[in-house]
Amino acid sequence: MSLLHRGRWITLLGLALLAGVYVRALAFTPVERLQGPAQKIYYLHVPAAIWAETAMVLVGLGSIFYLFLKDRRLDRFAAASAEVGTVFAAIVLTTGPIWGKPIWGTWWTWDARLTSTLLLFFLYIGYLLLRGAVRDPALGARYAAVLGICGMCLVPFIHLSVYLFRTLHPQPIILKPSAPSLPGSMLATWLFSLGVFTLLYVGFVIQRYALSLLWEERNGA
Amino acid sequence: MAELLRQAWAVARKDLLLEFRTRTAIVSAVVFTALVLTVFNFGRDPTAVSTLDLAPTILWVTFTFAAMLALNRAFQLELENQALEGLLVSPLSRTSLYWGKLLANLAFVAVVESVGLPLFVLFFNVPVGRVLLPLVAVIALATVGFVAVGTLFSALVIRTRFAELLLVVLLLPFLVPPLIGAVQVTARLFGDRPLSEAVGYLKLLAAYDIVFVSLASFLFRFTVDE
Amino acid sequence: MPEVPQNAGYLVAAYIVTAVILLGYTFSLYRRSSKG
Repeated sequence: MSLLHRGRWITLLGLALLAGVYVRALAFTPVERLQGPAQKIYYLHVPAAIWAETAMVLVGLGSIFYLFLKDRRLDRFAAASAEVGTVFAAIVLTTGPIWGKPIWGTWWTWDARLTSTLLLFFLYIGYLLLRGAVRDPALGARYAAVLGICGMCLVPFIHLSVYLFRTLHPQPIILKPSAPSLPGSMLATWLFSLGVFTLLYVGFVIQRYALSLLWEERNGA
Repeated sequence: MAELLRQAWAVARKDLLLEFRTRTAIVSAVVFTALVLTVFNFGRDPTAVSTLDLAPTILWVTFTFAAMLALNRAFQLELENQALEGLLVSPLSRTSLYWGKLLANLAFVAVVESVGLPLFVLFFNVPVGRVLLPLVAVIALATVGFVAVGTLFSALVIRTRFAELLLVVLLLPFLVPPLIGAVQVTARLFGDRPLSEAVGYLKLLAAYDIVFVSLASFLFRFTVDE
Repeated sequence: MPEVPQNAGYLVAAYIVTAVILLGYTFSLYRRSSKG
């Protein structure tokens, strides 16, 4: 089975299991008493956020190895991870406000996760724009790798600055949205969702990687 | 090491000589800074918001613009005279090329900020006398961070179509952490708060500078090697 | 005992938006890879 088809099958499996997550989260997971049904947005929001950020770290790692090993496969992987990371970041940035409005009262809050993800999203957009803007593919790969490494190194600084800003400017919290210790049934749903998002990441990256191969073949690279 | 510095200085000197011979870029940057400060004044209601609350933001928005202007004109110079090709053919090491450009860009921004700061103090009546030294230190720390990353990214966008626009888009997320640090420290300085409150942010700024100056100087060779 | 907030509408909206984004991207990958 070609790489593209393998990717498609994994993605389809992921989407099917996602439906399972939906059913489990919506119908078979208890409603959180303080936040109400909207709390369940968490089961999609947080796994997406984890992968949005992990994807960027992987872009950075792929970029470092590409610059030193010059293996095109690493560059294709970095490009794929960046595009998929952007998709997941988009999910975080849309579900975040939808969850924030009923819980915090406003569409946008400069809370740690949303702010970090917003900056991450800009990083991704910049990366994709740069890739598109450089005509020569080899040069583009090298430039993108430079940006990717810088982006990966920026992530801890984003977290640090946002953390500092928030601890000295506590926001009026009526409810405590981040519940790190989830009771059994909720934890199971959350883990299930994380697993599905992992599967989707893999499926998407394989497909996007295969797409790069296809484009290179077509351009006779 | 001495060789690196010598070469870097040669590059910086060339850029700065070109710059100050024509003077258009530096004059327009200074005028632009004054303009931004003026607009800020007309944009606010002094009875609703105290100057001191807004002051750090105003200062840093202005300085960020100044840094962006410096970075933009930096590679315009290269494009116009195809000077970049000339530099690459010369026996200069890539790292000293970076340091030279960085020094030239920093000098440019420093001039703009040296005019901008007194203007800011004048227009907004902000008492900076007692905290001048730490203020200058914070300004220097943050500016080095912006310009270090910006100098590297200038090399990335130089051959793309919407280079100036792309530079801003790429740079934006990288400006936020040092900006947060700079604004918060500045706010404490203006508010006469003890610096001990801002230690976390100062460490952030210092760490950012160390990491990104080293990283940018190392990665620069990948942007110019064929 | 305070009443549980009635915000299921937001829940549904978020789940739909997520599905749209993921399905949309899947479709985008499919379109781009089969344009032949």
